[in-house]
Amino acid sequence: MSIQVEHLYKQFRVHVRQAGWTGAVRSLFKREIRTVEAVRDISFTIPSGEIVAFLGPNGAGKTTTIKMLAGLLYPSSGSIQVAGYVPFEQKAEFKKIMSLVMGQKSQLIWDIPPMETFLVNKAIYEIEDRAFRQTLDELVELLELEELLTKPTRSLSLGQRMKCELAAALLHRPKVLFLDEPTIGLDVHTQEKVRRFIGQYNREHRTTVLLTSHYMGDVTALCDRVLIINHGKLLYDGELDMLTEKLTPYKLLEVQLSSIPDISWDAYGELVDAKEGKVTLRVPRERIHEVSSRFLQLFDVRDLNIEDPPMEEVITLAFQEDAHVS
Amino acid sequence: MKRHWRIFCEFFRTCLVEELEYRSEFLGNFLSSLFGIGMAILTIQVFFYQTDNLGGWKYADVLLLLGIFNTLQGLIDFALRPNMSRLLQHIRMGTFDYVLTKPVDSMFYVSFRHLVFWRLIDVLLGIGLIIYALIQKHYMPTIMDAVMFFISIGSSLVLIYALWMMLMTTSFWVIRIDDLSFVFNSFFETTRFPIGMYRGWLRIVLTYILPAAFITSTPALSLLGKWNGMTTILSVVLAGLFLWISRRFWRYALRSYTSASS
Amino acid sequence: MFRKYSVLLRMKYVEMFAYRLATIVWMTGAMVQPLITMMVWMNIDPDQENAFIFYFAALIFVERMTSAWDVWELEREIREGTFSYQIVRPFHPIHWAIAENIVYKALFLVILIPAWGLLAVFIPALRLDQIGAAQWLLFFCALLLAAVIRFLFSYTFGLLGFWVTKVTALYGMFEAVSLFLSGRIAPMSLLPPFLKTISFYLPFRYMVGFPIEILTGSVQGMDIVYGFGLAAVWCMFFMLAVLLLWKAGLRKNQAVGG
Repeated sequence: MSIQVEHLYKQFRVHVRQAGWTGAVRSLFKREIRTVEAVRDISFTIPSGEIVAFLGPNGAGKTTTIKMLAGLLYPSSGSIQVAGYVPFEQKAEFKKIMSLVMGQKSQLIWDIPPMETFLVNKAIYEIEDRAFRQTLDELVELLELEELLTKPTRSLSLGQRMKCELAAALLHRPKVLFLDEPTIGLDVHTQEKVRRFIGQYNREHRTTVLLTSHYMGDVTALCDRVLIINHGKLLYDGELDMLTEKLTPYKLLEVQLSSIPDISWDAYGELVDAKEGKVTLRVPRERIHEVSSRFLQLFDVRDLNIEDPPMEEVITLAFQEDAHVS
Repeated sequence: MKRHWRIFCEFFRTCLVEELEYRSEFLGNFLSSLFGIGMAILTIQVFFYQTDNLGGWKYADVLLLLGIFNTLQGLIDFALRPNMSRLLQHIRMGTFDYVLTKPVDSMFYVSFRHLVFWRLIDVLLGIGLIIYALIQKHYMPTIMDAVMFFISIGSSLVLIYALWMMLMTTSFWVIRIDDLSFVFNSFFETTRFPIGMYRGWLRIVLTYILPAAFITSTPALSLLGKWNGMTTILSVVLAGLFLWISRRFWRYALRSYTSASS
Repeated sequence: MFRKYSVLLRMKYVEMFAYRLATIVWMTGAMVQPLITMMVWMNIDPDQENAFIFYFAALIFVERMTSAWDVWELEREIREGTFSYQIVRPFHPIHWAIAENIVYKALFLVILIPAWGLLAVFIPALRLDQIGAAQWLLFFCALLLAAVIRFLFSYTFGLLGFWVTKVTALYGMFEAVSLFLSGRIAPMSLLPPFLKTISFYLPFRYMVGFPIEILTGSVQGMDIVYGFGLAAVWCMFFMLAVLLLWKAGLRKNQAVGG
């Protein structure tokens, strides 16, 4: 078992600061404290080698959970085990088998080339020369780092820097990898590249990967399993496809017709769009076969397509429905 | 001129609004300013523990000089310093192009866009110290003293601005230094004490090449009634000269900047 | 450990090169204030001119060798959140700071010692032929201790950044007070008796002034022993402070997040 989380809670106590002069003076003497529940009763297990996405809007508790898993925060209650270690104990052995990449923060040293950071990590993680060279060669090839290694970090683009961040985090071949928003701010093309790399790396090395993101593309491309979290609570834990079925009991039927007949579509489903000979209908799952065969019988169908609703829509639905899912 | 004044007022307003968001920081800023001037006075007391004059200046005279120094430093920290790092950032990130597209004089814009109001506390404390020193000395400046003082303090403000801008302009070439204002501080520190204290070639440098003498000593002497018409005129001339040079330098830098970037 | 340090030192060396211009400007700038203070004293007591030249030249040297900037670095890292990376790595972040200090101070040495030698040719006051071997040894011990105390002092404040948001402002105030008490405004012997007494007990004298006093010979006999004793006490005090604050800070950081 690689990651095991049981009944995890995290509360923060924040000082409430009142606006204005009197508020500022008052807060000197009496501080008002409010408790914020960032994570509420989350449990899940991730077997080793699996790649799982953590989804949720900003402030849902994703980063807080990841930080607890990496040992940066300790839980208010509940238990965490990562590869048999309790993260917040900060054992050196634990630190050597895991890695954390935060999309918004850099571990690379700003004014010198990434290679220098790599060498420092080599020493800190006590990586053997041969293993280091081997890993580095592999990462350089996979991530196309060749020319980036010797340029000062500050002169790299955001995407290039992210690729180097990933390499720096993987040099010691961690068994567990936490990625917090690894594709944030990257252009679509680079996002795609980073994604492909993470997937490939996970397949080849059986590294357990837990990644947070709010780009759906990351998730659909990489993970079969998603954890959806909102307001600190786990809403859904399971396969991505199942989520769609559970949440959206309909499919999208796209039919290309020679011409659009002037009829009411209500008998088939809910009309989404009808133009240039193409009709899109929202049809309940259980009726999809019936409706499509009727279409084929009644109309001059040139092309027919059945699709799941777009992922973004599903997720938005999940957040709206909140309690209904789990 | 009038237009620039209006724009300055607008900068002033936006920065004020921004800072009022953090008004709880007032107390901390006030205490640190008070602490700063207190330490400066204590330093002078340590010196006067061993002597009764510094380069011919008595204790109260040096206090007055310190008051002027503190006032000017407050003004620098209020209007000039906050802009130095922004210009560097603009140049580094390439956002300086936005500044150039604005229909405002670029030198004016980069020098006064950001203001930090807390530092005006230093100005008030400095003025307070000037008044205190005059009371200590039992000297009431005459109208002529005051006129001379305001002329010379005006030139010292222009001088400071010009020197500051020249330094700031070098950031077009030396973008690797995070905070060039440190260089200016080192120079400005020399004006903390009477110019008469420096000897030989250093005094000549600090009078004519880097005119530190005109920044604090001349206004202080004016207020003490020891002004000299020639010196005051010289300070005005030097201020004008330095402003002209800094302006030319800025233009030159801009030309090389715009022709270098694609 | 040794291998880790050799890599860290190399990395810090490369990094320093990226900042070499800034470093040199910074170093030159830091000399201005002592030089001005020196001129003030030469004005007050022209008979002692040579003694002042020697004192303040030594001050510039010692001040550079003991200077500490770690509080700013730590504050920035804690504020920007990159300190998290230091926590998840299996290596105590203080080693990075130590390595950085070693590299920069080696650079200062490489610049300042030849500069001193060159100046001594022209300025007789700077010649060092009067100083005996024992005095040199004591000076270097005191200098090393001073650098360690000042580093730990700065690091202590840096770690306070886990609790206090504007820790550099607080540090700045202590620095300002220490100007008097460490012998940077005036040699100890010229301070008013009250300041002289408290500076004997506070840590600041042992961060800058004490090694200079040994070099100028103004501290003698048993006073040297007392001085080393107090310096050692302060050194241990700050070591303990760093140790405890680090543990508490980590816990605090784990409780509220960085």
